[in-house]
This record gives sequence, structure tokens and C-alpha cells, in this order.
Amino acid sequence: MAYEHILVEIEAPIATVTLNRPKVLNALSPDLIREVNVALGELDADETVRAVVLTGGPKVFAAGADISDMADRTAVDQLRRDQTGRWAGIAAFAKPLVAAVNGYALGGGCELALMCDLIIAGDTARLGQPEINLGIIPGAGGTQRWPRTVGKYVAMEVMLTGAPVTAERAYELGLVNKVVPAEMTVEIARRTARHLAEKPPLALRMAKEAVLKAFESPLSEGLAGERKSFYFLFSTEDQKEGMHAFLEKRKGVFKGR
Amino acid sequence: MAAEVERQVRVETEGAVGWIRLNRPEKMNAIGAITRRQLGDAIKQAERDESVRVVVLTGSGRAFCSGADVTEMAQGGDGGMRTPEDVGNVLRNEYMPMLIRLRTMPKPVIAAMNGPAVGIGASYALACDIRIATPEAYILEAFVNIGLAPDGGVSWLLPRLAGTGVAYEMFFSGKPLSATDAHRLGVINRLVAADKLEAEVRELAGHLAAQPRQAMAAAKRAVNHALESSYEEALEFESYLQEAQAASSEFAEGVQTFLSKRVKK
Repeated sequence: MAYEHILVEIEAPIATVTLNRPKVLNALSPDLIREVNVALGELDADETVRAVVLTGGPKVFAAGADISDMADRTAVDQLRRDQTGRWAGIAAFAKPLVAAVNGYALGGGCELALMCDLIIAGDTARLGQPEINLGIIPGAGGTQRWPRTVGKYVAMEVMLTGAPVTAERAYELGLVNKVVPAEMTVEIARRTARHLAEKPPLALRMAKEAVLKAFESPLSEGLAGERKSFYFLFSTEDQKEGMHAFLEKRKGVFKGR
Repeated sequence: MAAEVERQVRVETEGAVGWIRLNRPEKMNAIGAITRRQLGDAIKQAERDESVRVVVLTGSGRAFCSGADVTEMAQGGDGGMRTPEDVGNVLRNEYMPMLIRLRTMPKPVIAAMNGPAVGIGASYALACDIRIATPEAYILEAFVNIGLAPDGGVSWLLPRLAGTGVAYEMFFSGKPLSATDAHRLGVINRLVAADKLEAEVRELAGHLAAQPRQAMAAAKRAVNHALESSYEEALEFESYLQEAQAASSEFAEGVQTFLSKRVKK
């Protein structure tokens, strides 16, 4: 499908989704979110794609939502178009999703990055939730994903003050995996994705599911789910390949079967 | 509206070198409210102006900078400094952005220390990338002498540049570190006689202005990153910067020039 607000480049086994509204610092309009959802749906179904990079390009990840579009809306307007609920498809993406964040990732932009599995940050990155300054709060997971990653007090600081954190602080907080020179961010995210694309896809999927489950359930449930996935993977060709390759001291080649 | 605001900071561009000169010689270039604003503007402009490839910070007259204008502060005449909280706010809102800008702008910043650098004046000199001074110059952390603590980033800079022992002695004693001692410690890069200082700085700045711009910016970025990271993190960050640099036209041209020189031999 043709997209208006994003670019989708498939270089199997990876794909790159680039938010592409540079004039408005990649503001997350409902149309853009819809396109990201559709694109990720297609990439999830595409067996040649094994990992995806999500980026806003070299200058900015996404500086929040379209405020001009929201300023005069009512609660009912917002509920009816369920702007934030539509992001569920992004969080549910089953393959590894690597965010490449340069410059501002604010509000919805930050929440979008936090839905990814790994975050590579350029040294120019600034992540934050400035919604408080507009008389609202984050609406796409910010109040829930921040404390699960950085703890209550830093999350409170970020939510209540609206001040963003630098790439270096985000790294210290464990909010991003790596800080790199901004001109290299997308490239390094792509390499990370290519590296992941060599790994067994079903195991990646189960590992991702299991880790995400840790945020949703009590330990006993999470452990039970983990065990089931662990046993399940012994029914896959990739497990046989992986273990035999290990014993034969060669690199495994995985098919996702 | 005042018809004309006194120019307490002069900005001159010579070729690709931007000279920022504190210009209150009668006050030993003390920094007051107007100076802060003008200096902030000058530093911001020097960072943004792409035609400026090297920045020099210096003073006019006998001093580099004698620090905050304490007389103005005491009289309550300094725009923002009436309460202790104002003092903190001026540091956070005015000095901090300027000093960070000096240390992070993607071009070399040279302090031409034509004379003493005292208090916040020392903070400016130490925030520059390179320091060249006359033997008559000195660095004085005078804060303790009026019952204040170090500010302007010297608690971070001075231990790194001179070691904690020297830094503590200066912070506790309120006595100056002479330019010759500072030179011996590596805090000052070169000592140059007063009448030759500007020529020497001009020559160095001119040389740097002709060096590959992006490669120098990358070096500054690497050092700033390394100062806040582990050895492993620094090595990895360098490797990515080097990839970006290896893909640049500067490197392509540099290699060509290098090879053509060898052929001529």
C-alpha cells in the first residue's frame, strides 16, 4: 500500500519504517498512527521480514501529537476517535521492533518509542512527556511504561514537570539501550535489527512475549507462561537446528519453523 | 528605552575566527547583568554562525575577567540578583546555558588569557577548550574570600584539569594559581608574553580554522562523551564517530592529499 505520512523500506530480512512529516516534526496525527499500524501489520505478515526499525529520521523522532488538531476537541470527540487506543497494534507487533531515536521524542512520540523492544538513541535525543503543560496527561501508555522501566520517582518527575531527559540520562536510567552519535543512529538500529534477524524467529517471538508478560502478570503466571513457551520451542525445527549447530560448532540457519 | 546600551562585550570576526572580547576594562571586565546578556548573545551567535570556525574569548585591558560584578550585586543594581534565590537563578538560567554552550559547540574555543581570570571569569577560561595566557595572568577561585562556594562549573572542571589537590587548595585558600604554575600543571596550554599574545592566538586560531571542521567537532564530541562514560563506552562511541568521519568528504580529501604528497617525494 502507498503511504502518505510514513516511508516503509524493506531490505529483507529487515524493514525500516520512517515517520515522515518533517515539516511538523513528525507530529503524530491519527492518519500517521493508522499508517504505522497498517505497515506493521503487513510487516508482521511478511515472512521475509524478521525485525523492524522504527525511526523519525536524522533530526527528530516525533515531537508529540498534532496540538492544533486537538485544541478544541471535546472528551466525546476524543473518545469516539479513540486516538490513543489505536496504538494497540504497535504494542502487539510480534517481531523485534528497534526504535532509532534522534532529537525530540516527546509526548506520543516518546510513548511510541517506549512501545518498541530496543531503543538506540542518538546523542541529540531528548525523551519526555510534556503533556502536563497543556492540561492533559500522556494517553498512550506513558504513565504506565515509564514507571515500569525507571521506577516511580523518576516517572513522577517526568510526568509532573514535563521536562525531558537527555540521551545520557535515559541511558543511565535504563530507558535506552545505547547512545550513539546522532548521524549513526538509524544505521546502528538497522545493524541491530539485522543481527536479530539472524536469530530463530519463533524463539524471538516467544522471548518478546514472555518479557512483555512480565509487565502484565504476577510472577507465578509469568513463570508458567515462560515454561510453556520453553517446552513449545522444542517442537520447532529451529530448536533442532540451533542445538545441532551449537554441537557442530557452526552457525545456525533458522527458518522460523 | 535607553537609546543605546553600552557595549560591554565586543564581537569581531576576522576571517573564520570569531573574537568575543569582554569590554569593561575600567572594571577589570567584571560581569554584570548587561554583560551576561551580551556575552550570552555573543556565544550563541558564535555557535550558530557557520562562517565562524574557531572562537576566541578574551578580555580588554589588564584583566581577562575579574568575575561577577560584586559592587553591582551589593547595590542591588544587578538586574536579577537581589535574593539568594536570585543568585542561584542567575547561575542556572544565565550562566549555565552559556558555559555548556562553550564546552559543547562543535568548534574549538580558545581562551586568550590576557590577564587574571577570577571567580566566574575563571569558570569561563576553564570551560574553553584551549587556554593561552600571558605570564602575568592567574586563576583565582576567590569565592571563599567573600564566603561563597565555587560556581560556574569549576567544581567539575578544575579537579579534572589540575587534580583534586590543587583544586581544593585553590577553593579553600582563595589564593591565586599563577599562570606559570597553571602552565606547569597543564591547565594552561602555552605562556606567551603580553605583547605577543594576540598574534600567537591569531596564528593558532587561523591554523585551526583551516583544519577539517567536522573532524574537530567529532573530537570535541568524543572528549565530552568520554568524560562521562567508561573506557568501553568511549571506545564504542569513538568507533561510531569514526565511521561517520570515514564516510565524510573531509576524509576522502585528506587521504587524497596525503597520497599526492607521498607521490611527490
